[in-house]
Amino acid sequence: MRQYVIFKGSRNGLQLVLDDSADFAVILENLKAKLESAVVFFTNGTIVEVPAKVRVLTTQQQEDLAKLLAIYGLIFRETAQQQEVTTTTNVETEELQTLFVDKTIRSGQEVVYNGSVVINGDVNPGAEVIAGGDIIIKGTCRGVVHAGAYGNIEATITANRLLASQIRIANLIARAPDNLDQPEYTEMARIQDGNVIIETVDI
Amino acid sequence: MGEVIVITSGKGGVGKTTTTANLGTGFALLGKKVVLVDADIGLRNLDVVMGLENRIVYDLVDVVEGNCRLKQALIRDKRYETLYLLPAAQTRDKNAVNPEQMKQLCSELAQDFDIVIIDCPAGIEQGFKNAIAGASQAIIVTTPEVSAVRDADRIIGLLESEGKHNPKLIINRIRPNMVKKGDMMDIDDIIEILAIDLLGIIPDDDYIIISTNRGEPAVANPVSTASTAYKNIVRRLTGENVPLMKIEANNGFFNRLKKVFNF
Repeated sequence: MRQYVIFKGSRNGLQLVLDDSADFAVILENLKAKLESAVVFFTNGTIVEVPAKVRVLTTQQQEDLAKLLAIYGLIFRETAQQQEVTTTTNVETEELQTLFVDKTIRSGQEVVYNGSVVINGDVNPGAEVIAGGDIIIKGTCRGVVHAGAYGNIEATITANRLLASQIRIANLIARAPDNLDQPEYTEMARIQDGNVIIETVDI
Repeated sequence: MGEVIVITSGKGGVGKTTTTANLGTGFALLGKKVVLVDADIGLRNLDVVMGLENRIVYDLVDVVEGNCRLKQALIRDKRYETLYLLPAAQTRDKNAVNPEQMKQLCSELAQDFDIVIIDCPAGIEQGFKNAIAGASQAIIVTTPEVSAVRDADRIIGLLESEGKHNPKLIINRIRPNMVKKGDMMDIDDIIEILAIDLLGIIPDDDYIIISTNRGEPAVANPVSTASTAYKNIVRRLTGENVPLMKIEANNGFFNRLKKVFNF
């Protein structure tokens, strides 16, 4: 059987590295077998994190994972939530790493990351990109994008063609007008005076 | 070893079954040994479209469960000697089979046939997972509607995560008059969103409805425009370089005449 699930030790407890390509159900099964085989090894109350870099989980999947880990006395903690506490100042935001994604994000797919995200491809309708920092899309953006998701109001969203159905920055939400013109320039969205504004930028 | 192709779409009613029947028949016309597999367990249609409903004795689930040998369940087409159908069970559901079993079945079929075409059910659940499990190539069928394109995009993503890259696209039911007037999604718009290779476009053709109801795939008809489009796709799949069909509004008498005489 291929190993879809790997446990790694980390500063805060354990890190759970999930295979990017495998089906989630297979991963759960694999994880269960692993936990079962080493019940004594895992101490009650150990915190388990899943780095967002490798595999992005939906809320439902996170719940399933948390439930399974709880049976074995382990506590599931989203890495994103942990970062939320630490990224209160801008200096620290800049220290966060940037995630580079070299493919088109399609409907139903989700990219969630604490730092900034650079997408080298399109973000299609029905897809979501959620970043703690900035979002840069080197392609057409037609999905939902959320920059500064943990409260950073300085965050920006840049796209070669910004046709997003919804733009969210920090706690503000802007909806695309119902008849959107096709932009010909690279555009950037940011917050100014409590509003989301979109302006042309030169890159 | 033959090639295993899955025809999928996500959304229902875009023409997966019709495409499966016509591509299969098209390959058979070229003398290839083809088997069509209906993976839509519980809602089988392919046998009806092929006009082979009354010949079903055993089905896919019987084969998987070992109630019969694979050869016993295969139905030979009444018109083409090299065309076979493996029907789905109607009294069971998608959970009667698992992806592992489908993989096994496909590799068995690929040993005897040049082409294995799997008709995938709509949706992204168990049935979809079963249908794509054994496939080496995927063909995505969509129509020029935003909902169908959205679902196609989702399917491409799911195929990618299952390690099946570079699916090919068929855009079905294009209405030349509406495209001309700008009332229908343009082919270029669809390609721009989905960003995959276009295998062909099929014009909307009343003859498809007639032939489906009769249980004889349209591809054998020399006059139907959809038939020509399907034939072109089959030729492209065999490696030939066939230019895309010109989609033009043919409502004038002269255009109709041209179509009949095929020039």
